[in-house]
Amino acid sequence: MGLFVYSLDIIVFIGIFAIVALSLNLEYGFTGLGNFGKVAFFLAGAYTYAILMERTGIPFYLALIMAMLVSAGIGYLVSLPALRLREDYLAIVTLAIGEVLRLVVKTEDSIAHGVWGITVPPAIHWSGMSVLEMRMVNIGLVYFCLILCFIFFQLMTRSPYGRVLRAIREDEVAAEALGKNRVKYKAQVFMLGSALAGLGGGLYAQYMQYINPYMFLPMVTFTVWIMVIVGGPANNWGVLLGAGLVILFERGARIIKDYLLLPIDPINLQYILFGVLVIFLLAYRPQGLLKERQLETKAIEGVQKWKNRSSE
Amino acid sequence: MGVNWAQVLFNSAVTGSLYLIAAVGLTLTYGLSGFPNFAYAEFMTLGAYMGYFVVRQLGFDVYFAFIAAFLACGILGALAYRGVFRFLANRGANKIHLMVGSIALGFVIRYIIGDIWGWPATTFGIRWPGFDIGPLRVTDLWLALIFTALVLAVIMHLLLTRTKTGKAIRGISSNPELALASGINIERVTLVTWAGGAALAGIAGLFWGAIASLSPLLGWAMILPVFAVTILGGIGSFYGVLAAAFIIGLAENIGVVALTQLGLSTEYRMAIAFIILIVTLILRPQGLAKAFRRT
Repeated sequence: MGLFVYSLDIIVFIGIFAIVALSLNLEYGFTGLGNFGKVAFFLAGAYTYAILMERTGIPFYLALIMAMLVSAGIGYLVSLPALRLREDYLAIVTLAIGEVLRLVVKTEDSIAHGVWGITVPPAIHWSGMSVLEMRMVNIGLVYFCLILCFIFFQLMTRSPYGRVLRAIREDEVAAEALGKNRVKYKAQVFMLGSALAGLGGGLYAQYMQYINPYMFLPMVTFTVWIMVIVGGPANNWGVLLGAGLVILFERGARIIKDYLLLPIDPINLQYILFGVLVIFLLAYRPQGLLKERQLETKAIEGVQKWKNRSSE
Repeated sequence: MGVNWAQVLFNSAVTGSLYLIAAVGLTLTYGLSGFPNFAYAEFMTLGAYMGYFVVRQLGFDVYFAFIAAFLACGILGALAYRGVFRFLANRGANKIHLMVGSIALGFVIRYIIGDIWGWPATTFGIRWPGFDIGPLRVTDLWLALIFTALVLAVIMHLLLTRTKTGKAIRGISSNPELALASGINIERVTLVTWAGGAALAGIAGLFWGAIASLSPLLGWAMILPVFAVTILGGIGSFYGVLAAAFIIGLAENIGVVALTQLGLSTEYRMAIAFIILIVTLILRPQGLAKAFRRT
């Protein structure tokens, strides 16, 4: 029983982080935007949700939508100064906003009790609810959102809009020459990515029922990046796989810490291994475990046929 | 409430000196290799902990701490370039890959440091004698920091204008193809810059560890103002960084006074650098560099 309930916890976490990883995949994998402050939008969503649930009586789904809107708004503001410039400026600005937002919620006690953190009432609750039931409800909620997000991302990235994003990733100037306003597209992607990271944050706050600023350290951003890089940038299935593998690995390290005596703390070792793994993946398999699938359009089919005919 | 403005100016010089030492290497390697090295934070952390190791654990004099930090971080910088970044670049990594790689490297170093020396904050356990000059309260350590920064500024100026390596650094930074065509050994110059820059980062980290406290997150806490200095100065420009370090040092110290007067937490000190960073990107993304470029 204990093991079963624990594994449900892992399943919820995989679902939440899969949503965040999918949103990074849209930004980095499909559009080529390096967002190194994913945690900022995760934090914005989590705190928006927590504050709304604590102070107002609005239903939880409205709070989740508000969390997405607030994150999207912050994403838009962050993208303004940096998107017109080179990609490294965006990296620095996003990295910085993660630190600054955490500083604000840590320092301003009036926002959400600073370092003491904020408790979040559960979204769906009835008297006599057991831990098992609570987790089952969360799995339902998180995976409902995840499936919607996944279908949305799959449809979007295969649509003409998604092809424009890939074109911008491959060659900004060429995309611009075809009349695609790259700054507008990038800003839209950044807002959408931030909104979904905010959704992940809201779900995280609702599941944890308590959040404090120390839950939003830069390692959250790094963890999400590993999920995308391991799984396969620009492949949504790969990112789901990556999210699952990384969370399982993390939990494994925690379990090992309790049962095995190693000369090195397994949690430290885990991050060291993650770092080494990322460097090797970037060198030897930057496309990740599952490769990006080739576009399937009538035009490409036509080109293939023409190529085959001309080679005969 | 009276403000001791002489002290504010002096503190600005201390902060500016620290940022100058910390940012020189970052801006030069950023200019040469074309990407921001986020593992730079951990170079600073390592410098502080090398000092801790030499002073607290081996019991040597504090001067040896500086030598140890300089050498260890220099070697680390060279290894990072050779072992990670050049390796990735040779395998066709793009700029985002290199940035992700630098974050990954940073995590590796940070968690190794955390595992060896532990996560709680610690100190060197040295009391730096303080004394008063007129209205100023100063310590030996602060004077040493300002002196180091001044010496560094002079050496860097001579290096960049009088030596072949220095001229090569400027040349590669502004036009790599032309530099290569002129017979400059890009590989060697870049390696030297990475090693030297990292060594200076180690010194900056050591100073910061001695002034405040050490923790494996020391470098990470400093990375934001250091990046603000780099961007405000203009990437790759030493003279830009020289000006930007003191501008941001001054802004932070005046900002702290303003924050106290307004009744806000002085923790927002970090946000000041962030605001300068954003304003620079909106108004003048090329930084101050142009003002210092001789054509």
